Amino acid sequence: MRELDLIIEAFEQARANEIECVLATVVHVEGSSYRKAGARMLVDEYGQMTGAISGGCLEGDALRKALHALHKNENKLVTYDTSDENDAVIGAQLGCNGVIQVLFEPIDIEKKLNPIAILKQIASSEKKLVITSLFNLDKSKPQLGTQLVFDEHSLKIGSISNELLINKLKQDAALVFNQQHDHFGEYTIELEAQHAFLEFYNPPPTIVLVGAGNDAQILAQMADQLGWNVVVTDGRPTHANAQRFVSSCQIVVSKPEHVLENIQLSERTVFVLISHNYQYDLAVLKLLLPISEIPYIGLLGPRKKFNRMLDDLSTEGIIPTEEQLSRVYAPIGLNLGAETPAEIGLSILAEIQMVLSDGSGIALRDKQGPIHDKANTNFKVTTL
Amino acid sequence: MAEKKKIYLDYNATTPTDERVVKEMLPYFTEKFGNSSSVTHTFGWDAEEGVELARDRISKLIGSKPKEIVFTSGATEAINTALLGFCRANKENGNHIITCKTEHTAVLDTCHQLEQEGFEVTYLPVDTSGNIDVEDLQRAITRNTILACIMHANNEIGTIHPLAKISRITQKAGIKLMTDATQSVGKIPFDVNKSGVDIAAFSSHKLYGPMGVGALYIKAGIQINPILFGGKQEKKIRPGTLNVPGIVGFGKACEICDLEMKDESSRLSRLIETIEDELFDIEGLTINGNQSLRLPHMTSISITDVDGTRLIRAMKNLALSQGSACSSNTTHPSHVLKALGHSDDLALASVRIALGRMTTRMEVIDAIKSIKRGISQLKTSNL
Repeated sequence: MRELDLIIEAFEQARANEIECVLATVVHVEGSSYRKAGARMLVDEYGQMTGAISGGCLEGDALRKALHALHKNENKLVTYDTSDENDAVIGAQLGCNGVIQVLFEPIDIEKKLNPIAILKQIASSEKKLVITSLFNLDKSKPQLGTQLVFDEHSLKIGSISNELLINKLKQDAALVFNQQHDHFGEYTIELEAQHAFLEFYNPPPTIVLVGAGNDAQILAQMADQLGWNVVVTDGRPTHANAQRFVSSCQIVVSKPEHVLENIQLSERTVFVLISHNYQYDLAVLKLLLPISEIPYIGLLGPRKKFNRMLDDLSTEGIIPTEEQLSRVYAPIGLNLGAETPAEIGLSILAEIQMVLSDGSGIALRDKQGPIHDKANTNFKVTTL
Repeated sequence: MAEKKKIYLDYNATTPTDERVVKEMLPYFTEKFGNSSSVTHTFGWDAEEGVELARDRISKLIGSKPKEIVFTSGATEAINTALLGFCRANKENGNHIITCKTEHTAVLDTCHQLEQEGFEVTYLPVDTSGNIDVEDLQRAITRNTILACIMHANNEIGTIHPLAKISRITQKAGIKLMTDATQSVGKIPFDVNKSGVDIAAFSSHKLYGPMGVGALYIKAGIQINPILFGGKQEKKIRPGTLNVPGIVGFGKACEICDLEMKDESSRLSRLIETIEDELFDIEGLTINGNQSLRLPHMTSISITDVDGTRLIRAMKNLALSQGSACSSNTTHPSHVLKALGHSDDLALASVRIALGRMTTRMEVIDAIKSIKRGISQLKTSNL
């Protein structure tokens, strides 16, 4: 489950018990920190925390700030400067070296578009979106908060009165889609600054398990832990059924040639062929190869098996192109020395993560430079 | 004779608290009265929020990070904390510091204390306008030097020291630069990065905030030993319950200065120009300080053959100072004017006129008349 889903779930629970909550969101980081902008945490009125905004060094103080925001029933921006490690307030011993802006928003359930309601709509969306949190580095100014959601072309959720600002945010949201990463804006309106965090929201990947054997059961559980959507497909109703898989899985019982009919494809839909049935795997592979949108087709089994499939395809007159072959991962998985079904699952999921995020898969200690590639986190200043 | 309304011309001694500042402070005496160190309830959180907003505003005015600001009871405490605290924390690196003869007594007396503790202090001389020679500073630096403490603007004569130039020397020599910026912050641009200082002290009541609050800027990474003990406030550098209403007012005052300083200083500098033009013809009158590089809102004049104390008494309707406020209840000549080379008599025959936010042109015109009348009366009676 994703942090986002956990936060929504925790909120629903708190709400059922009439417990009030505050959402804390990291809206900007300058320098380095454990969690980036977009990290969220829900704090309830008893101090129960779900999610995290740091590696643990800020949470104690953040709890008090959240309760203060709740008491005032007012959004609040707090700056944590961890760039001096001797800081007694924070007591950061994590080697953080950044200035972190955290926005605290008490959740008013009377408001239809409160931040959690907005996050709920986003969490159930299959589309890429831009979540916009408005704040002001001048803390004496109102903090507008998580208000707006854009899709590639328009404002989807929320509204603010300033047309000029909306239009500029829409342009910047388009930029976010284009570059696929977050954007930080400072907009000057009649000499007053307004800051915004435009967060690129990528819906979770969908993993399609072709084959509903015991190894698929474990893989489905693990993918569910990652917060991915899981689809299980198999020709055997004895295997592909709701009793054998976690409740969030979509189960499709079908012949191989009809597999795609019930699955919505996107550039984040990946396929894992683990039916342990040569003909079933081959039939699905044949179906998937021409669909260039699919970034990953993993095939369980030795290289010999894949070579035999290529031979069989060529006798049918099908010669896969280089591009098609580049999306096929056979044998499936990273070289982790995996033996058990869970270990193999780990190696498969790690490989998919690597492919989807364009990672290299090497040990981080062997990577030159920082863990994450430096994203531009400077505020882009615009005068409206 | 009806008592005429007094004209306040002593803004370098203190300033009235701006009404907007008072308004900002008031809730912190009553409903938001909490201790900013109380972490378990909203009273404490409200107070802490007020303090942190003030820290933001003050740091914005001087270009520092908020966490580099330590609140004190005033500039004198800030200077004591910085000088004693820095020297004691860094004594393994050397025992020599450099300062200047025209510094405020808060610096000079603290330096004397350091001399008692085994530190050596070089007091740089100044020229007749109050400028140090940066070559002198360069020459004074030895292997044992750890700190130079040079004020930004002089409180008595307004001469501004070129901190950016000075910091190039201190940085090159690997020593730290501290400045007493009490008279300059909020009056003229002062930016810790542009000026290159490592430590700066200043005060709320000089910039239309309340008395009893000061700030110490300590650049991140610089070690200062506390001189007071008893709490974890202000990163243990300045323990003790914070003066929350005062700090809130200090912050608001800085915010106002940030917005209005530019217009205010050009208005006041035009008024000073008027005063100096009008007094220019008086025989034996000299203007003290560096007239091309000094505080825009003030002037210091000396008049030969006139007793300054009697002059001040002669100008009953004017509130102004003979030298600095701190030393003026005795009749010792000002150490600053003496450092410029003034004789005791001339130093005593000096008057500081410092204007401020509430000064009007009418007041200035009345003041000019009074000064002229006062001087001519005394000169006549001397004859």
